[in-house]
Amino acid sequence: MNALTSPRHVWTYRVVFLGLCVAVIVYKLLPLGLHDTGLPGPDLLLAITLAWLLRQPAVVPVASILVVFLLADFLFQRPPGLWTLLVIVVSESLRRRRLTMTEFPFLVEWSAFAGAVFAMLILNRIVLWILMVDLDPLGLTLAHGIVTVAIYPLVVMVSKYLFGLRKIGPAEAEAL
Amino acid sequence: MARDNYDEVYTRPVRRLVLAVVVLCLIALVFVWRIDNPRVERMRAAIIDRVVPNMEWAMAPVTGLARMADEFQSYARLFEQNQELRRELQQMRAWREAALQLEQENARLLDLNQVQLDPELTFVTGIVQADAGSPFRRSVLINVGARDGILDGWATMDGLGVVGRVAGVGERTARVLLLTDANSRIPVTLQPSGQQALLMGDNSQTPLLEFIEDAEDISAGDRIVTSGDGGLFPPGLLVGQVVMTTDRRMRARLAADMARLNFVRVMRSHPRTSLEGAGELIGPPWPPPDGFVQPPGVIPVQRPERPDLAQAETVEEDSP
Repeated sequence: MNALTSPRHVWTYRVVFLGLCVAVIVYKLLPLGLHDTGLPGPDLLLAITLAWLLRQPAVVPVASILVVFLLADFLFQRPPGLWTLLVIVVSESLRRRRLTMTEFPFLVEWSAFAGAVFAMLILNRIVLWILMVDLDPLGLTLAHGIVTVAIYPLVVMVSKYLFGLRKIGPAEAEAL
Repeated sequence: MARDNYDEVYTRPVRRLVLAVVVLCLIALVFVWRIDNPRVERMRAAIIDRVVPNMEWAMAPVTGLARMADEFQSYARLFEQNQELRRELQQMRAWREAALQLEQENARLLDLNQVQLDPELTFVTGIVQADAGSPFRRSVLINVGARDGILDGWATMDGLGVVGRVAGVGERTARVLLLTDANSRIPVTLQPSGQQALLMGDNSQTPLLEFIEDAEDISAGDRIVTSGDGGLFPPGLLVGQVVMTTDRRMRARLAADMARLNFVRVMRSHPRTSLEGAGELIGPPWPPPDGFVQPPGVIPVQRPERPDLAQAETVEEDSP
């Protein structure tokens, strides 16, 4: 058991994660961007969650994801539960295969993230279509996905250098 | 490590079970939302009601700072703006003169007509607290709610024009669906031509005008006001001006300043009396009173029975 997997470290980062998510939600709710209708903003919550999950999975438990995304679903006028469901499913699948990814360079991780985002957006659209809910414009949804993917390296950089979140390799994970 | 393995043997299936339960619950939540939408939306309003006012202490200063930064950027164009403002001031002086004259004339005419403005159109002012937080929804949250007597469907204006309508009321907050939201549909009248149209939001700054009968009669710059059709809005509230896009479609430039919504007025509107039933023929009383002499050659026809009339008569008899 080393410094990265000690309970103290893990719990500190869990709290930091929740605080960060609340900050993002509050920022999104601020009545500022009422006029810009051009490019939709990135889904920062998703980028942070998956980036942290791929770095140190113990920091992002399912309960945190459930609370954060369900709250976001309710506050952001989305169909409650659907996006949360997709995030949980994707995060679990990434959690299981992250060890195979840690040895590869960052590009592999980034493409995995991009694949996950677009799979989620498409699944979301399909489910809404089946449930006969009014769909958002396809162009905006795709732009949203692209912006989210584009912001991912930045999120990873900030996590790494500002929050000191290092990737746990297989050797250290064994000790967990 | 034997102990770790032992733990893992028990925790992994439990974890998998919990995960399955969570996933099933979420699926159920989505279905409940789809089937019993009003109840879940009420729940959402209650959650927002609990959460958002608690954030206010954090949101107010940040919003203020960001607005200041926004305003600060405009210092860069100070000189240009000054020139522009001077020019506008000059124009406005002329307008002011015209307005004063019109006001006097209007006052005289109103006095002549003894017109009374609709006293029922009062308003509640609220402060914008939060927006929808999503690029696909155009709505804002204001800090007045059911506590202040706000009802669903009421019109909301800023100082000048219509902003949207109340859609969702919590105890302390209410959501205003802006005219620019893709779900917003408002019946409007185009002013000089008097044509009816439907203002449909499409997530852009300028909502579309659809279902116009005679598009030739309309030119850019026509005034758009609410028509009051369907009893949704009080009639005659200013919405904006017609603009013509390059693809010959008509859109509305809104009079309300959507980019800087800060205070909004929720107009109290009351349901208007509606006309019920078709008009009746007005004829002589039936049966003919005593001493009524039938004109020669006229055979009286029995009137059909009318239960509502009979009922009304009995009530009248009871009352004295």
